[in-house]
Amino acid sequence: MTGEDVIILLPLVIVAAAAVAAMLAIAVRRSHAATAGIALTGLAAALAEVLVNLWLKKGYVGHLAVMDNQALFVIGLVLAANLVVGILSYGYLSRRRERAEEYYVLLLLAALGGMVLAISIHFATFFLGLEVLSVSLYGLVAYERGRLGVEASLKYLVLGGTASAFVFFGMGLVYFDRGSMIFFWVDWLYGQYGPGPLGLVAMVGCVMMFVGIGFKLAVVPFHLWTADVYQGAPAPVTALVATVSKGAVLALVLRMARGSPWAGYYFGDRAVYYSGGVCPSAPVFWILAAIAVASMFTGNLLALRQRNVKRLLAYSSISHLGYLLVAVLVSGAAGATAAGFYLVTYFAATLAAFGVVTALSGANGEAESLEDYRGLAWRRPALAALMTVAMLSLAGIPLTAGFVGKFYLLTAGAGAGLWALVIILVANSGIGLFYYLRVVWAMFERRATEEKELPRIGVATGVVLAGLGAAVVLIGVWPGPLAELVRAWMGGGW
Amino acid sequence: MLELLWLVPLAPLGGFLILAVARARLGRRAVATVGVGSAGVALAAAGAVAAGFFALPAAGRVYEQNLGTWISAGDLAARFVLHLDALALVMMAVVTLVGFLILLYSAESMAGDEGYARFFCYMNLFVASMLVLVLAGDLLLLYLGWEGVGLCSYLLIGFWYREPANARAAKKAFIVTRVGDAALLVGLLVLFTQMGTSDIGGLLARAAERWPTGSSVATLAALLLLAGAVGKSAQLPLQVWLPDAMAGPTPVSALIHAATMVTAGVYLLSRMHGLFALAPAAATVTAVIGAATLLLAGTSALVQRDLKRVLAYSTMSQVGYMFVALGVGAWGAAIFHFVTHAVFKSLLFLAAGAVIAALGEEHDLFKMGGLRQRLPLVFWTFLAGAASLAALPLVTAGFYSKEEILAAAWAGPAGGRWLWAAGAVGAAVTALYTGRMVFLVFFGTAKREPSQQPGWAMATVLVILAALSVSGWWLDPRWLLGGTEIAATLPVRLAGTAAALAGIVLAWYFYLRRPALAARVAQSRAGAALGRWWIGGWGFDWLYNFIFVRPYVWLTQLGRDELLDGPFRTLGRTLDLAHAGMSWTVTGRVRWYAAALAAGAIAAIAVAVWR
Repeated sequence: MTGEDVIILLPLVIVAAAAVAAMLAIAVRRSHAATAGIALTGLAAALAEVLVNLWLKKGYVGHLAVMDNQALFVIGLVLAANLVVGILSYGYLSRRRERAEEYYVLLLLAALGGMVLAISIHFATFFLGLEVLSVSLYGLVAYERGRLGVEASLKYLVLGGTASAFVFFGMGLVYFDRGSMIFFWVDWLYGQYGPGPLGLVAMVGCVMMFVGIGFKLAVVPFHLWTADVYQGAPAPVTALVATVSKGAVLALVLRMARGSPWAGYYFGDRAVYYSGGVCPSAPVFWILAAIAVASMFTGNLLALRQRNVKRLLAYSSISHLGYLLVAVLVSGAAGATAAGFYLVTYFAATLAAFGVVTALSGANGEAESLEDYRGLAWRRPALAALMTVAMLSLAGIPLTAGFVGKFYLLTAGAGAGLWALVIILVANSGIGLFYYLRVVWAMFERRATEEKELPRIGVATGVVLAGLGAAVVLIGVWPGPLAELVRAWMGGGW
Repeated sequence: MLELLWLVPLAPLGGFLILAVARARLGRRAVATVGVGSAGVALAAAGAVAAGFFALPAAGRVYEQNLGTWISAGDLAARFVLHLDALALVMMAVVTLVGFLILLYSAESMAGDEGYARFFCYMNLFVASMLVLVLAGDLLLLYLGWEGVGLCSYLLIGFWYREPANARAAKKAFIVTRVGDAALLVGLLVLFTQMGTSDIGGLLARAAERWPTGSSVATLAALLLLAGAVGKSAQLPLQVWLPDAMAGPTPVSALIHAATMVTAGVYLLSRMHGLFALAPAAATVTAVIGAATLLLAGTSALVQRDLKRVLAYSTMSQVGYMFVALGVGAWGAAIFHFVTHAVFKSLLFLAAGAVIAALGEEHDLFKMGGLRQRLPLVFWTFLAGAASLAALPLVTAGFYSKEEILAAAWAGPAGGRWLWAAGAVGAAVTALYTGRMVFLVFFGTAKREPSQQPGWAMATVLVILAALSVSGWWLDPRWLLGGTEIAATLPVRLAGTAAALAGIVLAWYFYLRRPALAARVAQSRAGAALGRWWIGGWGFDWLYNFIFVRPYVWLTQLGRDELLDGPFRTLGRTLDLAHAGMSWTVTGRVRWYAAALAAGAIAAIAVAVWR
């Protein structure tokens, strides 16, 4: 590893160093504020470094990783989300009895795992990132050590371990067939044989890898853990699971599918796209399409009458990942751009929603029942407004970010001729509206009796929440700049 | 000075924004300052603009100010363009002057109302919309103003919204005018698609080039515009909303439902008079509608008991005169009458408002009387307005404008004897109900003591408007507008004057000299039947209720329970069932989750292996 590599990997180095520093600081003296300060400073510094890196240094790091525009974009997204979660966590943990310091070490490691996934072009880095992310999440989910939290963490651990085994086995099979673990070499070797069907071993390997990936994305039928884990984990950790974990894995899928012929294989003369993709084959396309459709319907239907807001958001995220898979199935830059844009809108709205949940969760439990939100608009109008904006955005109502995101997804899907998927997506948006609006409805209902005291909101949390709300609305009203940005960064290249 | 044109509509808009945002935080004095002041700024700006306008060479007195592009789609580019010509100047002057005076009056008369800030907020929005309407150089912008005044009319009729009847009146006004608005929109779309532009000047020029006189498209477009104008100006057959609109505060009735908004239709037809020149049939329809309305409304005004409803029917009838003038091609005379009517009718409303307030919200004519000595200022100003409405010869402004319309109906390019006869009969009826009003309110025995006198603001406004009402021919804007002179013979003019005088004499005889006789006529069998028929505005409410409202309500009831809900309910139930069926999969057991994961993996691998 040369000095140049270190410069290229500087964001990761900074976060890793911050994790070490936090650990050492805890050993010297326990202080919630100091540890949180180290972690947040590390994340912010790394985020700033990403911006510098944009112009300074890009390139390959051996055969293992690449720092290109897409990687920088996803890293920026991961870091920003982690920063938001970190700030939300500070207020949240201050209200709890538990010692809070180690939490930030795990938070930094989760960020590191996500970043490794973002730069990965090799099975080794892929697995490394996946495990670093997952293991830190196991710890975070159980951090409160309540009955539900431990149960959720154990479920996540057992099932996540199984999924990792699937990924590992799949990698082995692909390597056995292709003799390479680098994404685009696998691809290149494939190109030599011409566009024929994949060998049986490689095919099974591919599918097994996608089982593991599907588990991390929580898509049907690997989704069952989602609601339990969302409910059991502390609210800010749930936000992390919902955004960073899924977003980073999806970015990896996008890289593997870069220029994927999954769509082209079946839809017309798309031979130009045969330059990329780990698993270019028709069955994979159909499997993913089926998973997308099943996820959309299952997620929305399960959420329909859900009265626990955290579980509701869990089911909603299943359907959102189903929507995102449509973009994955669209080959080339169009799909990557649509997915990138949608990820941003999904991140913003999800973080805003969990931000409200976090801000309302006091020392005596999480604000997760729909009852906790009844009449919120009359007691905390600002929080209720933010939650409303988040819900409308997740539902895809115009003038919010979610609408524009969905619009790009639909455009990409229609452009690739995936009409059935597009129609199913639209129908599911209609179903989803029901339960998103139910939350809004509950907040605007008047309640007769005055309820328990609501926790106070710190300045930092307030600023972050206001920023999220503003972002959701701003992207919805004026999406042009972000669309240009995503097109430039997710469209591939340096 | 012309560059200040943008300030004319934007000043009241600014006032509206300030009041809308900060009305809870402003004191009453600040609210009045903003509310009246913004109209004052508009008036001052209008004065400056007028000065600049007259400085232009007389040949090409047109000024356009483009404030940016609104919509640009294909060939159609709608601009925020203000167009100032003589017609717009006259309209702007009237709207800003009368608007300012009425707002000044309201600052005092509305002082006790809890919705003080809300009132000025809406009124400022109205003035802004009205100015956009009259200054728009683009039909789409005109339509924006058109809808804006409609909205404000709705909001202000229902101003005291806690009374269900007021809310109903507001809804009625909005829905009935909406019928006309929809027709207007279709008309505008016809013009856009045919001419490819929404610029009014360009559009009229192209229409004159492309459409021969009497062409069916021109007639269609003109009739659709007419339908819009009929709705807004409360003419047959869309006149039913205006009497109920009196539910709003009196200054609202004065500004919106007498001086400005109800004459928006007159303005629209004047602005598009080039189009009506191409469609003689539509022009004839306009004149006939005007004549029928002026008779219907005049006779209805004769029997009303509510002072404000008399004035409402009177407004309808006077706007009917303007339509007659428009129909016979004398749009200059229509605008003249619009100007005088704006002055004397707003005066009558404001004076009536002072009477009603002094008597403790009493609207009934027959419970008033003898107020001549007790409210002297109100009496003399009301008398000036009434004289102008009744067209008392030589001194009053209303005499000159009505005279011009009657002369045009007789001798104008498209005039006719029947139109003139209707107008002359209408003039007599007008004088009769005006006299009835004056004699019942101010003469005879006092039935109630007035509790308050108007303060300085109200008094000033009344005096200014009264002075304008009896200023003779001085208000005639036709020297500015241009157009043909109408030379009616002296006997015709004298006959029209005689009709008005006869009405006044008749009123004096019936309501002052022999009140018992009037009562006997009213109580006779025929008189009572006629009275019942006329007091409801010739039974149109009953008719529309029967033809439109009830079948529509019936249809919606039908649709609510049977037709549309079925599929949606089924869909909802299906999704509910699907939710229930899906929910059992989430058991909370890890072994079950792992089994699902394994099953999914097996299924996926099976698909991959078997292709």
